[in-house]
Amino acid sequence: MSNVFNWQLGREMEYPYEAAFPEQQFAFVFNTNRCIGCQTCTMACKSTWTFSRGQEYMWWNNVETKPYGGYPHHWDVRLLDMLEKANPGGQTWGGTPESLRAPYGTFNGKTVFEAAQTHIGPEGANRALGYLPADDEWSAPNRYEDHPAGNEKGAKGEYFKGGERLPEHKTWFFYLARICNHCTYPACLAACPRNAIYKRPEDGIVLIDQERCRGYRKCMEACPYKKTYYRGNTRTSEKCIACYPRVEGRDPSGGGLPMITRCMSACIGHIRLQGLIELNQDGTWKEARNNPLYYLVHVAKVALPLYPQFGTEPNGYYIPPRWVPRPYLRQMFGPGVDEAIERYIAPDRELLAVLQLFGKDERICDRYEIKEGPKVFEGEVRGKKFEIYNDTIIGYAKDGTKIIETTVEEPVYVRPERHANSI
Amino acid sequence: MQLRYDEDFIEAAVFVCANGRRPGVSALQVARFHRQREKLYLILDPDERSAAFFHLHLAWFREWGLEEMLMRLVGDFPLLCGELDVLAVRKARGKTDEGAELYVGERGVKNAILALRPEAFAGGNGVTDYVRHEFMHLNDMVDPAFGYEPELQLPRLNPAQQRIARERYRLLWDISIDGRLQGAGHKPVATREQHFQAFARAYAFWPVERRDEVFEQLWSSRTPKHWELVSLIADPRGLREARRPEPGGSCPLCDFPTFQWADSSALRPELLERIRSEFPLWTVEQGLCGRCLETYEAIAHA
Repeated sequence: MSNVFNWQLGREMEYPYEAAFPEQQFAFVFNTNRCIGCQTCTMACKSTWTFSRGQEYMWWNNVETKPYGGYPHHWDVRLLDMLEKANPGGQTWGGTPESLRAPYGTFNGKTVFEAAQTHIGPEGANRALGYLPADDEWSAPNRYEDHPAGNEKGAKGEYFKGGERLPEHKTWFFYLARICNHCTYPACLAACPRNAIYKRPEDGIVLIDQERCRGYRKCMEACPYKKTYYRGNTRTSEKCIACYPRVEGRDPSGGGLPMITRCMSACIGHIRLQGLIELNQDGTWKEARNNPLYYLVHVAKVALPLYPQFGTEPNGYYIPPRWVPRPYLRQMFGPGVDEAIERYIAPDRELLAVLQLFGKDERICDRYEIKEGPKVFEGEVRGKKFEIYNDTIIGYAKDGTKIIETTVEEPVYVRPERHANSI
Repeated sequence: MQLRYDEDFIEAAVFVCANGRRPGVSALQVARFHRQREKLYLILDPDERSAAFFHLHLAWFREWGLEEMLMRLVGDFPLLCGELDVLAVRKARGKTDEGAELYVGERGVKNAILALRPEAFAGGNGVTDYVRHEFMHLNDMVDPAFGYEPELQLPRLNPAQQRIARERYRLLWDISIDGRLQGAGHKPVATREQHFQAFARAYAFWPVERRDEVFEQLWSSRTPKHWELVSLIADPRGLREARRPEPGGSCPLCDFPTFQWADSSALRPELLERIRSEFPLWTVEQGLCGRCLETYEAIAHA
């Protein structure tokens, strides 16, 4: 085991390999507040990559209804339970949040790598704590769709009233869209006995070499997010490839510019923003104040990693759903949740503008600038002053090409009185 | 009797062993298994490769004693071994998909399929207890003394009642099988207490003495007859023979079971006339359900 620095945990942690960072890292932000669970992303991925024989149970992209849904069933609850058993009462956060190296404080508990040594297989201790889901856990990918949670009930013969009131709904659920997180310290990579899994140096995308894979399924067991899948007819494992030909700029429709993945571009709710992040020597993010992902994760701090306590340093970030009880969200997204929701419910001028970039163009936005516009609204959100300025945000690709120009207020176009299909 | 396997089943079962989830599998064997398996990836033809994997997995299925375990269990049922042409083992998709089914072909050729979750091989003797229980079901099905018939003859039961009757049959059969297994010194799938609780729930309407008596008969090591079980499931409360309205009995007019009997003694003459025009043999003492009363009142008003 080596010691590597995990900035999401604010500390060094054990990992089977030395730290090695790519030139740029594939990363994304999903705004759960906007997701309507339509599964367009799921089908975009399915129809692009996993429509063949043997891939029937593969959903590289899936959208599950939390808290009950999950694919495979209850993947997160099972692993959280295993971690709790490995370190009873110790899975806690502490410390003080500080800059880029510990923005959420320090995680005191054990990661999947640190907790693994207690799990012994025939070949010795596992490299990451995990489990291999059984077949029935891979059935019904959208099980518990729209099932709400709530521990208060209405009077007999009446619906429960007031379950929808903010700041936290008493009857609640939300959609969690998931793809491979292309982790900085992938557990799948750590566990592969064949070294068939690698992280591309150019963009940090995690891939399985189909020539090397021999179907041990250790990656499936180790990945805490359960995002690798075994294909029965080829007897190899497969996973999300982050649509790397598009990220490389090889999709003709991008005119040679790096493009976002199919699931991101198909999203009708505009919940997704994808980017490439430059890293420092220690794996922390290089300051890029006007990169939209950097801004959302490190400046506005509204986007948080999914289950950072697993320790793989996932590169998928989520703006947490603002109506969900906070203890649940703290477990899922770490201690930054309260601050993130506070900022999101009454966004400042810059955040409101950056939120307009989601889903606006299929090319990857590397940098933005904002042109100030007039104030169009002034009010109050939960006791906080809230203003809307109709600013214009302009997004640029890596090479400086202008790819997005949009305003905070959606433009209103008035149809001329007389036109071709007038009655 | 031939034993055949579904390819997915044996692959998943040997992986349960290779992953250290079944005790008694050595690390050296696991390493050898993987070495042999890795070589097969060099076969380019997909069909050839698939066949090679099947043979390798089958060899390890045998090496790790899984086939021997199944053979030993089925060997305890000589009648079943003699009657079956093929016993095929397939992978069950989940716990509810597990079980054994008998298929009888045109010329009376009997084949059976046993559906098992590969994970069942992970540790413990649960799998042997379960498989033995399922083989008992198959054995009863081929045993002329049991007199099994694939279709339950349940005349005059509506589909909902038939489903309940089938569930009762399954319960009684399971009790009898586990009782016989315990009598023979094997571990049953569920304990006597668990079975009794389920039985008491299903036959809650019986007096305690009758319940105890029937349960004891089932749990005794005696092999029941198929018709004996059927006689206990179709109309255990004897409502068909009731001469007067009983809660849960069937309405003589619509034939639906009801707990809402109408007061038939106070029916108006025009209603009585209307009902008797359609049901000449019906008597006031037989009663009618609340829904039928509503219907005939509506007809009389129209």
